[in-house]
Amino acid sequence: MGNKNDVLQGTLVLLILKTLAAIGRMHGYAITAHIHEVSSQLLRVEEGSLYPALHRMEQEGWVRAEWGTTEKNREARFYSITARGRKQLLEEEERWARLTQGVARVIRYA
Amino acid sequence: MAWYHRIRNVLQPDRLRRDLERELSFHLRERTEELRAGGLSAAEAARVARLQFGHYAGHVERARDMDISRRLETVVQNLRHAVRGLRRTPGFTLTVLLTLALGIGANSAVFSAIDAVLLRPLPFPEADRLVQLSQVRVKVPQPFVAPVRLEEWNRLTGTFQGITGHYTEDVSELSGELPEKLTRAWVAPRFLSVWGIAPALGRDFTPQEGRFGGPTAVIISDRLWRRRFGASPDAIGKRLRVGQSSFSIVGVMPAAFLFPQRDVDLWSPSAPDAPYAQSRESTWFTAIGRVKWGVTIAQARADLARVQAALGHQFPKTDADIRAAVEPLKEVTVGGLRRSLWILFASVSLLLLVACTNIAALLLSRGAAREHEISVRLSLGASRASVAAQLLTEVLVLALAGAALGLLVAAGASGVFRSLAGTLPRIEEIGLDWRLVAYSLACAVAATLASGLFPALRATRRNLAGSLAHAGRTQVAGRQQAHFLLVGVQVALAVTLLAGGGLLLRSFQQLGRVSPGFAPEHVLTFHVSMSWGETMDLKAANQRIARTLDGLRSLPGIEAAATAFTLPGVPTQYQMEVGTAEGRAESEPKMFAENRWVTPGYFATLRIPVLAGDTCRDEPNTTMVMVNRSFVNRYFAGSTSIGRRLVLAANPAQRPGEITGIVGDAREMGLDREPVPTVYWCDGSLQPGTFFLVRTRNEPTSMVETIRRRIYQLEPRRSVYDLVPLAGHISEAYAQNRLRTILLVFFALTAVSLACVGLYGTLSYLVTLRRREVGLRLALGALRTQVVRRFLMQGLRVSAAGCAAGIALAAICTRFLAGMLFGVSPSDPMTLATVVAAVLAVSALASLVPAVRAARVEPMEVLREE
Repeated sequence: MGNKNDVLQGTLVLLILKTLAAIGRMHGYAITAHIHEVSSQLLRVEEGSLYPALHRMEQEGWVRAEWGTTEKNREARFYSITARGRKQLLEEEERWARLTQGVARVIRYA
Repeated sequence: MAWYHRIRNVLQPDRLRRDLERELSFHLRERTEELRAGGLSAAEAARVARLQFGHYAGHVERARDMDISRRLETVVQNLRHAVRGLRRTPGFTLTVLLTLALGIGANSAVFSAIDAVLLRPLPFPEADRLVQLSQVRVKVPQPFVAPVRLEEWNRLTGTFQGITGHYTEDVSELSGELPEKLTRAWVAPRFLSVWGIAPALGRDFTPQEGRFGGPTAVIISDRLWRRRFGASPDAIGKRLRVGQSSFSIVGVMPAAFLFPQRDVDLWSPSAPDAPYAQSRESTWFTAIGRVKWGVTIAQARADLARVQAALGHQFPKTDADIRAAVEPLKEVTVGGLRRSLWILFASVSLLLLVACTNIAALLLSRGAAREHEISVRLSLGASRASVAAQLLTEVLVLALAGAALGLLVAAGASGVFRSLAGTLPRIEEIGLDWRLVAYSLACAVAATLASGLFPALRATRRNLAGSLAHAGRTQVAGRQQAHFLLVGVQVALAVTLLAGGGLLLRSFQQLGRVSPGFAPEHVLTFHVSMSWGETMDLKAANQRIARTLDGLRSLPGIEAAATAFTLPGVPTQYQMEVGTAEGRAESEPKMFAENRWVTPGYFATLRIPVLAGDTCRDEPNTTMVMVNRSFVNRYFAGSTSIGRRLVLAANPAQRPGEITGIVGDAREMGLDREPVPTVYWCDGSLQPGTFFLVRTRNEPTSMVETIRRRIYQLEPRRSVYDLVPLAGHISEAYAQNRLRTILLVFFALTAVSLACVGLYGTLSYLVTLRRREVGLRLALGALRTQVVRRFLMQGLRVSAAGCAAGIALAAICTRFLAGMLFGVSPSDPMTLATVVAAVLAVSALASLVPAVRAARVEPMEVLREE
C-alpha cells in the first residue's frame, strides 16, 4: 500500500491536470471518478489525498476554484485549469515520459 | 489562494474549517450514495466510503496547511502563548511594563522636544530658505538694520525673493475701558510675503497703507481677535486707538503665527519713505529675508556682501565699515538649545539602557524557571530559533504595551516642558504626532532586542541531557555571574547619570553662593508703555521720567526707584568701545566696557556701593557717568579717574560724560560671569523697553497695586505691565539651565532606583535558590550574622565593581557637560565621591533585606524538605 501510493501521489498533480484539461470544470469527486474509470480501475487513489493536492495546486496558481451546484443541486467546489496549469501540465508530461523511458531501459537491461 | 485570503484564514480559522468540511463531506456523501446504489446498506456504505477516503482528519489538516500563511500562523500562535504566559505571572508583567513605560516614555518625551525644536523646520512654507540678516559694525554691537539700507538690500540683491524687517514696541491701546498694554510690531513692506503666510481673515496691507501719511492700518493677532472681538468677522474695519492715532483693522493673523515674538498682537506697516527713516544711521529693523529657489545661503551671503560693499563705496561715511551677516533663521532661533537637548537625549537613552538591563536580568530568571519546558520542546524537534522567537515575542508584547503607556507619559511631558521652561524657543510646538509614535515603536523593538536577546539565547542553549536530568533545583555558578554582570552594568550607568546630575546640581548651588555685587531681593521691576515717537524729544521724556520716579519714591513702602535699560544679573551684552574726551595715545590699549544706561537712583535701588566720589547728580539730562572698580583697575590704574570724561567711540559727537564716582563690581552680565569693566551712563537713555526698578520695604509683589495706582495718577494714558520681582527675572534667565538640571537629576534618581531594584531582585533570587545551602550551613553551626555578612558582601562587591566602572564611564561622559558647569570641574572629586558613597549606601540597603531574609531560614525546615 505504501509503495504504490508513493508513486501515485507523485503523479497526482499530473493526473489531475490532465483530467481538468481534458474535461473542463469538475469537482473533486468527479475527478476521482474519472481517473478511476479511465484507468480501467487500475489506479486507485486514496481519495482524501486528492484534496491537499488540489489546494496546493490552487495556491500554485495551476487551477482555479469556485463554489457551484451539481445537477443534484448540491453545493460543491469546482476546479478548472488555468493557463499556468496548462504549462505545468506539459512539464509534468515531459517528466513522466523521461521517468518511464528511464525505468523501461533499466528493466530491459536483463 | 491569494495571499490576502491566506492571511484572512489565519485570523478566521473557523471559516476555513467550515469550507473544507463542506468540500470534503460532499465527496464522502457522493461516494456513500454510489455505494448504496451498488447495493450496500447505509451503514456499510458509509464505512467503506470512509475507508476509501483515507485518513479524513489528516487530509483536512494537509489541505488546510495549503490554505494558510504559515508564517503568520506562527506569529499569531506566539502572540497567544506570550499573552497567556504573561497573564500567569502578573507581578513580573507589571514590573516590566512599568519599567518599559518609564524608559520608553521618557525617551519619547525628549525625542518629541528634539523633533519639535531642532529637527522640524520652522512652521512656515519652505522655512529653510528664511534667513536673518544683520549689519555688523565693529564699534557698534547692535545688529539692527536701517530702513534705508533694508530697502536698498531688497532692491539690489538678486538672490533674495524679498527682504523685510520688523521691530517691536509696547503700546497702550486705549479703545477699551482701561489702557491695555499690547505689543506692536512695526513691519517693513513685503512682511507677509517673505514669511510666506496670508492673513486668516481680511487682507494684507495695501501699498498706500505702506506709505507715509497714508491710511493707518493694523493686522491683529488671533488671540486679540478672540479676546476683544469674540472671533467675529466684523472685527475687520473696526478701529483701535494708540496714543494720538487710530488704526483700522484690516486683517487677522493665523493663530499659529507667533513671530517675531510670542506676544505680538498688532502688526502695522512702517513706511520706508517716512522722514525719520531716511537717515542711514537710524537702525532699528531686525531683518528677515527669503532666499530664492535653488540659491544656497552661501551664494546669498556673497551676493549681499557684494551689495553692501557697493553701498560702502557709494556712502563711505556711513557704510564703509558695515558688513552684512546672513544666518539661517532656524539656527538663530534654536541654536542655543541644541547642546542641552542632546545631553538630555543621551541621558534618557542611558536610562533606557538601565531599564533594559534590569529587564534582561528578570528574563534570565524567568528563562531559568522554564528550563524544563524549553528542553522538552527542543528535544521534540523544535528549532532553537523558533523557541527563541517565542521567548522574544513575550518581550515584544511587553515592549509594545510599554510603548503605548510611554506615549501617554510623553504626551504629558509637553506640559512639563512648558511649565519648566516656557520661554524657550518653539516649546509651544512640542506635541504628539505620528513621528513620535514611530519613534516609540522603534524604541520598543530596540528594547526588546536589548533585553530579550541574551536571555532567549541563554535559555535555548543545547544542554539537553543535563537539563532534562535535573530535578530543577541545583544551580550552576555560571548563571549567577550573568545576573551579577547585568546588575553591575546597571550600577555603572546609574553612577554615570548621577555624576552628571550631581555636577549640574552643584553648579546651581555654586551659582546661588556667588555674591552678585548687588541686592536683588526686594526689588520690583516693571515697564511703563511708551512709543518710539517720544524718543524724538529726549529732554521732555527724561523730565517726565524724573517726575514719575519722584512720584514713586514718595510712596510709603518704596525706598528707592530708578530706571535702567537692562536688568542686572540677566545676561545682556552691550560691550562697546569707550574713549576719553581727550583721546588716548596710540600706544595705550583700547578701552572696552559694558555699558549700562541708568538713572542716578540705580545704585541706591540695587544697593551697589559707591566706593569713591559721588553718585551722579539726580537731575534729568545729566551728562555724568559712573564707572565700576574693574574699569578703573583695568584702564586707569594708578591715576585718578574721577573728573575724566568718557565718550562712546562709535558716537564721538555726543557730549562726553564726566566720571563722578566709582562703584563696586556688580555681576551685571549674569551671576556665572566675572564682573567686567562697566560704564554707567546716568542719562537714562530712555527707550521703549526700559525697566523701572523700585526697592520695596516689604515683599515686592505686595506693592503692585499701589504702584499701578500711582502711575495712573501721574500718567493716565500709559499702562503699567510686567510687574515681576527682579529675582524672578534672574531665575528665568537660567530657565534652560534649570530644565536641564531638574531632568537630568530625575533621570539619574530613576536609574539608581532601577539599579537597586535589580540588585535586590537578583539577591533575592539567589537567596531563594540557596536555601538548602544556607540551611545546611546553619545546621552545621554557622552564625546567622555570618550568613548575613556573606550575602551583604556579595551585593556590595557587585556594587563596588559597578561603581568603579561607572566612575571611569563618568570621567569620559561628564566632559560633554564642561560648557554648562559653573564653579565645578567635570571631574570634581567631591561630587564623584559623594555619588559613589550614595550608591554604595543604597545598594547596601538593597542587599541587606534579602541577606536578613536568608538568615531567617530555619535549618530544620529546609532539611526536612530533602
